[in-house]
Amino acid sequence: MLEVNSIDVAYGHAKVLHDVSIKLNQGEMVFVVGRNGAGKTTLLKTIAGFLKPTQGQISLEGQGISGLAPEQVARRGVRYVAQDKKVFSDLTVKGNIELAAYAAGEPLEQALARVMSLYPKFKDFLQNKAGGLSGGQREILLIGRALVGEPKLLLIDEPTEGLAAIVIQDIFRILSGMKETVSGIIVEQNLSVVSRLADRIYIMKEGKIERELTDPAEIKNTAELENYL
Amino acid sequence: MIDTILYGLTIGAILYIFSIGLSITFGTMQIVNFAHGMVYSLGVYLFISFLPWTLRIFPLAMALAIAAMLPVAYLIERFIIRRLYGESLDYAIIATYAVLLIGADLIKYIWGTAPQPVSDPIGVPLVVLGVVIQLYRVVVFLSAVVLFFALRIFFTRHVIGKIVVAALEDRDGVRALGLDVNKYFSIAFVIGSGLAVLGGVLYAPITTSEPYMGFHILLLAFAVVIVGGMGNLTGTFISAFVLGMVIAITGRVYSSAADTMVFVVMALVLLKNPIFSFVRRLRGRPAHG
Repeated sequence: MLEVNSIDVAYGHAKVLHDVSIKLNQGEMVFVVGRNGAGKTTLLKTIAGFLKPTQGQISLEGQGISGLAPEQVARRGVRYVAQDKKVFSDLTVKGNIELAAYAAGEPLEQALARVMSLYPKFKDFLQNKAGGLSGGQREILLIGRALVGEPKLLLIDEPTEGLAAIVIQDIFRILSGMKETVSGIIVEQNLSVVSRLADRIYIMKEGKIERELTDPAEIKNTAELENYL
Repeated sequence: MIDTILYGLTIGAILYIFSIGLSITFGTMQIVNFAHGMVYSLGVYLFISFLPWTLRIFPLAMALAIAAMLPVAYLIERFIIRRLYGESLDYAIIATYAVLLIGADLIKYIWGTAPQPVSDPIGVPLVVLGVVIQLYRVVVFLSAVVLFFALRIFFTRHVIGKIVVAALEDRDGVRALGLDVNKYFSIAFVIGSGLAVLGGVLYAPITTSEPYMGFHILLLAFAVVIVGGMGNLTGTFISAFVLGMVIAITGRVYSSAADTMVFVVMALVLLKNPIFSFVRRLRGRPAHG
């Protein structure tokens, strides 16, 4: 479904990704793990169109997307959820969902129902400013917003970072439910979440893919994975 | 004192109407747009030319001037401002300042350098607590208040307004949804430019129009936007009236210091929010997509 072939990415003269290749099959949930600065976020941003590779190709369902602007990539069914948990805080929760529905061409009522199915408590907050939501609620709203319009692929950066254990359970439940309907590439440091949800793991180190894990036994071995964090 | 307050409210109203476009451009595009002053002054001169053609029907000439400047504003956004996204702040200043200078020279070439007076279109005096004030000034103030609420409705209820509000906060977040922010910035830019012309035309009967009129109000408007917060539309409204009152009250005591006091207030605000963070915000533009 998605193929990233030998991409290099640089910030100015500083090369951040070196010859990175990953692939994702339809319906797969792929996790990218690695230490801070390994290039995980840069990889997601590059797939999403916010950064352009200086070398290599990215293709979605056989079509090249590496030269496209982020909005063009999004319109091809790739949605990016950034690490910063930044919702449109001056808009209401409903307003946030409305923009996603408008962008995706989905009726608002359908979009609201879709997001509230992930987190029914949003029903009580719809008219509240999104800036008043907790970190976990913001993350759920961001994932919900990204799911509006039934995208093909979700790119999610550190969805559980900085969240309480009880909220992580909510995120885990949502990601588990997503597996049925959408493919995903998720950058995540919480190995408990990774080992339970991953179909494939890419381990990144210093801007390169260090290892690719596909064996379920290896994926579930969190002790081994910890060596890479 | 009543006339001083009314003068402050009038100047505040004009500053607010003019500054909205600047505030949106600052907030969404992180571009310091000196070309806004050209749109303002050229719009006023067109209005002055349209007045005799429209049998001196003020609102009709004003509508024609605004309509005439909207395509000009679109072309400025499409071919100058949009090319400056992600470029150095200095390029934006140089390019838009060049547009401002070209506008002033164009006005001098077509209309000459002599100041152009416009008479009060209402010309009805009111007596309030024994003081004579012009009804026109009350209309100008009320226009700004009505505009403020109209824009609030637009930015909170209309989906295009919501997209602009969202982009003011997180441009990349809007793009990640699949929305082409440039399209909405163009709409916001053209609306802001139309309002600049509106402000200029409303101000024309209170002052005299001259080719460099855009330079003066531009500096005051930058102060309004910085004090009110870049992209903060409510802040811009409050800041415009506060600075309008500063101009009016200072002018009553010592008229030569009226504009200076505006920049003293701006300096105090920047001391609280250091200028370096202000410049960093301008320079910290999003990654070029």
